[in-house]
Amino acid sequence: MFKNYFKIALRNLERHKAFSVINIAGLAIGIASCLLLFTVVKYELSYDTFQPNYHQIYHVVTQDKFEDGITYNPGVPIPALEAFRNDFPQIITGSLFASYGSQVTVMTKNASTSSDKKFIESTGFFFADPQFFQVFQYQWLAGSPSVLEVPDNTVLTKKLAEKYFGDWKDAVGQFLKLDNKITVKVSGIINDPPGNTDFPLAIITSYKTLKANAQLYAYADSWNSLSSNFEVFMLLPKNVSASNIDARLLSFSKKNYVVRNSVKTSFLQPLSDVHFDKRFPNFGDHITSKATLWTLSLIGLFIIVMACINFINLSTAQAVGRSKEIGIRKVLGSYRRQLFAQIIGETALIVIFSILLAVFISILCLPFIKHITSIHEPLGFFNTESILFLIGLGAAVTLLAGTYPALILSGFRPVLALKNKITSATVGGISIRRSLVVAQFAISQILIIATIVAITQMSFVKNADLGFNQQAVLLFNANGDSIMHSRQQSFKQKLLLLPGVKAVSFNADAPSSDNGWFTNFAFDHRPDEKFQLSLKFADEDYFKTFQLQFLTGKPYDKSDTIKDVVINETLVKQLGLKDPQDAIGKEIRLGGGRWNTIVGVVKDFKTSSLREAIKPTLFCERKEYYGVTSIKLNSSNITKTKAAIESLWNQYFPEYAFTTSFMEDNIKQFYEQEDQLELLYKIFAGIAIFISCLGLYGLVSFMAIQKTKEIGVRKVLGASVKNIIYLFSKEFTILILVGSVIAVPVAYLMMNHWLQNFTFRIKMNVGIFLIAILISVIIAWVAVGYKSIKAAVANPVKSLRSE
Amino acid sequence: MLSLQKIFKWYNNGVNRTFVLKDIHLDVAEGEFISIMGPSGSGKSSLLNVIGMLDEPNEGSYTFMGEDVFKLKEKQRSQLFKTHIGFVFQAYHLIDELTVYENIETPLIYQNIKTSERKSMVADMLDRFQIVGKKDLFPTQLSGGQQQLVGIARALIVKPKLILADEPTGNLNSKQGEEIMNIFKELNNEGVTIIQVTHSEKNAEYGERIVNLLDGRIVMN
Repeated sequence: MFKNYFKIALRNLERHKAFSVINIAGLAIGIASCLLLFTVVKYELSYDTFQPNYHQIYHVVTQDKFEDGITYNPGVPIPALEAFRNDFPQIITGSLFASYGSQVTVMTKNASTSSDKKFIESTGFFFADPQFFQVFQYQWLAGSPSVLEVPDNTVLTKKLAEKYFGDWKDAVGQFLKLDNKITVKVSGIINDPPGNTDFPLAIITSYKTLKANAQLYAYADSWNSLSSNFEVFMLLPKNVSASNIDARLLSFSKKNYVVRNSVKTSFLQPLSDVHFDKRFPNFGDHITSKATLWTLSLIGLFIIVMACINFINLSTAQAVGRSKEIGIRKVLGSYRRQLFAQIIGETALIVIFSILLAVFISILCLPFIKHITSIHEPLGFFNTESILFLIGLGAAVTLLAGTYPALILSGFRPVLALKNKITSATVGGISIRRSLVVAQFAISQILIIATIVAITQMSFVKNADLGFNQQAVLLFNANGDSIMHSRQQSFKQKLLLLPGVKAVSFNADAPSSDNGWFTNFAFDHRPDEKFQLSLKFADEDYFKTFQLQFLTGKPYDKSDTIKDVVINETLVKQLGLKDPQDAIGKEIRLGGGRWNTIVGVVKDFKTSSLREAIKPTLFCERKEYYGVTSIKLNSSNITKTKAAIESLWNQYFPEYAFTTSFMEDNIKQFYEQEDQLELLYKIFAGIAIFISCLGLYGLVSFMAIQKTKEIGVRKVLGASVKNIIYLFSKEFTILILVGSVIAVPVAYLMMNHWLQNFTFRIKMNVGIFLIAILISVIIAWVAVGYKSIKAAVANPVKSLRSE
Repeated sequence: MLSLQKIFKWYNNGVNRTFVLKDIHLDVAEGEFISIMGPSGSGKSSLLNVIGMLDEPNEGSYTFMGEDVFKLKEKQRSQLFKTHIGFVFQAYHLIDELTVYENIETPLIYQNIKTSERKSMVADMLDRFQIVGKKDLFPTQLSGGQQQLVGIARALIVKPKLILADEPTGNLNSKQGEEIMNIFKELNNEGVTIIQVTHSEKNAEYGERIVNLLDGRIVMN
């Protein structure tokens, strides 16, 4: 029986080539989209799940409650680590301290001199204690966690050891110099952690070394200070619940944390949230919110539902043509369920073809995944989960797409079927097919609207006035130490002599940045204010380099330590001053330090990405934190100038690696995830439109066949080509408009929610929705156009003769 | 073999009721060859559909081989006519997507007969009607007469006790029609009961008994 069904299914596919192509193409694209999105979602969900203690590992995080809101920090004050170990002896507590952009220099064999092998490790540079490796498990190729008990011992991953020494086996016992200051011995090698981790370990040095070099890494052993670089992890025994520890952490926080203008509380974040909770930055390169994963899954669902709708529409439309076969089969003794099984079987065959094509499409698309996600590792889907997913998806699609046509077809009354009395009007109600088309158009319009909103918002963000000039500013990073600082001034003099250099500033941070340094403060001899102040340490030429505009006052004079300060407009407003002028000459105190005079107020600029509001900010000098050199270049001859700067750098700082970036590129990086989302919407809106047009084209070509006689009669009665085309497009246009009634509110709610991510955002106006509707109407007309014109210009004599 | 009593079938057409079959009484004995005649719209095909259990009347009772058909469950009824009745149609009603061989084989598939057995049964049938050479052709590649031969072969493959033929020669020329009618006669001689609907007096002559219908009523039996 199966052989018979299979044969007839194949012959049906062959006979109705156009429909088969439309069905298989539509389903294949839908399935490929789902497969790719599944692969991405699965990968994102797999972060750090390879850790054997995944479900028992918790990250201790801190919230800081101010009168006007809560800020979150992934770290804890440094003394908390020892206190945790004392207060919770049954729990293993490990810590990790990150340094970004540290330099590693490979030493010659006897550790006496440095080689030219200098590397800036932008991530992966950590200090850790042996306990960290009890909480997190890695495969040790050489050495053991206990080597980190000893100061100036370091552990490398296999990959980094190969980068430094060629073969990891040669690395053990060799020496490295960290940040031109600390000589450490390679004492252990761990196997490379997989890519799906938020702990991109590369070089891990003994925690004791960090303590001995507190100044260099801004390691502040004080209950007062909180840094996101220092994170603590707990391995809870199976019988201890997180809520129990949370309760104890609450009283721990009350007992130990200093209350000034805010209340700090630490609590546990499960490791399974680390990759998804946007409140707490992690050590990895991105956080993917669960909302994004839901969006991806939803898009996948949308696309596959649309493909199924196509299938249903085309199959029910085709059903009329098959009514005779069904009638005969019933007369020959087929039960309804046998026919049902036959039609489901045919659907399954089409789905199998589609899956094969989909896998092929997916393989072609896989290398491009990195443009729509933050995943940089090559992905694959020849694994158990993906194969099971495909099987499950195939079964679901078969049932979703096949059930309705199978019910309709197998339900034909044989007498009617044999008398050719079954017409498209009697097949499963035209209204169901119409509602399906409406649903398809609603989905594609939602995606079109989402695309337009995302494009508009992102172009708004990218063209927004940042309040400073980001163009042609070259930045280079180095961990500022005293040697470096001692040479900075003469380096600057030489730089300024280069023809392409307009201004040079040493500072700790660019005006717009994801980093931050916050402090409590007091103004004008009043008690501490109730909000935090963002600090930017920079020399006097910072304002010139970034072209920040002064509302009043002037930059401070050159100084090595905090003396005079400059503030921004937002701070003036938050302090309740009406006129920036009122702030000039007033005094401000940072933390528990001295009082400093305000000498200038700059116009507001964007202190971070446009997601966040402008922070109240203060600029002051503090030479020991100047790790960034910012150079404003002439926009012509940039390459030449850059080369000249590099040779100057090597002359002044031979022991420091030279790595640069442009301010513009750094700002673009703020929006990497949004850019990806925008691209994602574009792609999937395109796919959605394509699939719905395929369906529409199929439906119209079917209608054209059905209406051949009607068109012939109408033309004989004097209808023009225009009238006929109108006949075809009228119905679809109405369906699209009905679809938009559904799409507009859904898309509005969805995108309004997304826009909430931005403090600075566009308003969604009627225009966006009108454009989306117009686009889908035009596209539908194009899809319908060819077939309806062809039907309309056909000679009526021919079509009537065949009747 | 079968007996129809007080069969009524109608359509409601607004307030009016249009009768298709009116108070039909018909007894058919095993081995009979009956021709149903009458003008267009007199209810010939409807009567045949009721006999073939493709359609149900609104009123009346129907006994087939001792079973009260309308009291049977759907499945039992299907089983009954699957094994005892073969249909032959004016428009042949072959499945265009299947070859001659497969068309003839299809009813056996629905009776869950094993592949090897099916093969020999179909081969016998192809032999009998001398269409072995055509077994791999599709219906559209055959002439009308040949298609009807396949249609009859398909009806006979299940070894039915009763053949219902709805104007079996209606689409054929007279020579082809004659051939088909001779086959029916032969079958009847072998003991198969045949009920045919026909317009042609000549073809009706092949039967032993003629039932005349007018406006849903039997006017002459």
